[in-house]
Amino acid sequence: MTFDFLEMVLFAILAIAIVGAGAAVVLVGRITSAALFMAFTFLCMAGMFLLLGAETIAAFQVLIYVGAITVLILYGVMFTPQGSRDYGLFFQKQTPWAIVFVAFLAVPVMVFASSFQDGRPLARGGDLVPLATSLFGDFAYPFEVASVLLLAALVGAIVLVKRDDEEIR
Amino acid sequence: MTPAVPLGAFIAVSAALFFIGCAGVLTRRNAVVILMCVELMLNAANLALVAFSRRYGATDERGSVFVVFVFVVAAAEVAVGLAIVLSAYRTRPVVNVDEARAMKG
Repeated sequence: MTFDFLEMVLFAILAIAIVGAGAAVVLVGRITSAALFMAFTFLCMAGMFLLLGAETIAAFQVLIYVGAITVLILYGVMFTPQGSRDYGLFFQKQTPWAIVFVAFLAVPVMVFASSFQDGRPLARGGDLVPLATSLFGDFAYPFEVASVLLLAALVGAIVLVKRDDEEIR
Repeated sequence: MTPAVPLGAFIAVSAALFFIGCAGVLTRRNAVVILMCVELMLNAANLALVAFSRRYGATDERGSVFVVFVFVVAAAEVAVGLAIVLSAYRTRPVVNVDEARAMKG
């Protein structure tokens, strides 16, 4: 007796949740609801990584996307007042063109994507050791460049948000 | 031993989420929602990278290494993007991107 069907059922649930919540991010009118649907999508994506056997990436996903980026975007939602013009979503000029464009691209890409066959799968037993070996061995220089990028983004965000006028402080 | 879920299913979910995010970027007007949809597209790319790295005959975890770099770039992007949105709002109180036509302060 194997539990392969359980993996398939989990995959189906996660796939429906990801696509449904992703569509809700685009379609729902209220910005806060969209942000929470986005967090739910990220959480289901962490489950998808677990199904693929990438536990470390799933942990990073929960920490960075569900934790940090969602909180940052919720702060952005709170700091920018939201008008009542969110309902103009279906009355915009470029919406039909965007739907035609996306559908035109999406159908062949989805058919092509479904046609990939499995190669030789990696050995079971977690991805932490091979990930760390690659990251700190072959990719040590890009890793350092990534830290410089984070520092530049930190300084840039502070400089952009800093107030120049003295009287408001 | 063959995995229960085929690789194509993961890639199909990734492509679906990518095009959902693409449609959001093209149709929504709120700058914060556009940032959210860009994050959805980045995450869809992450799923494709991890799926190919685990299932497509790779010998090591290089695809997952790129996912780590995508995490870094996404965090930097959303921080700078929100800072730009806040700074633009402070200059001129609009959030919808089609109302903010001029980039000059």
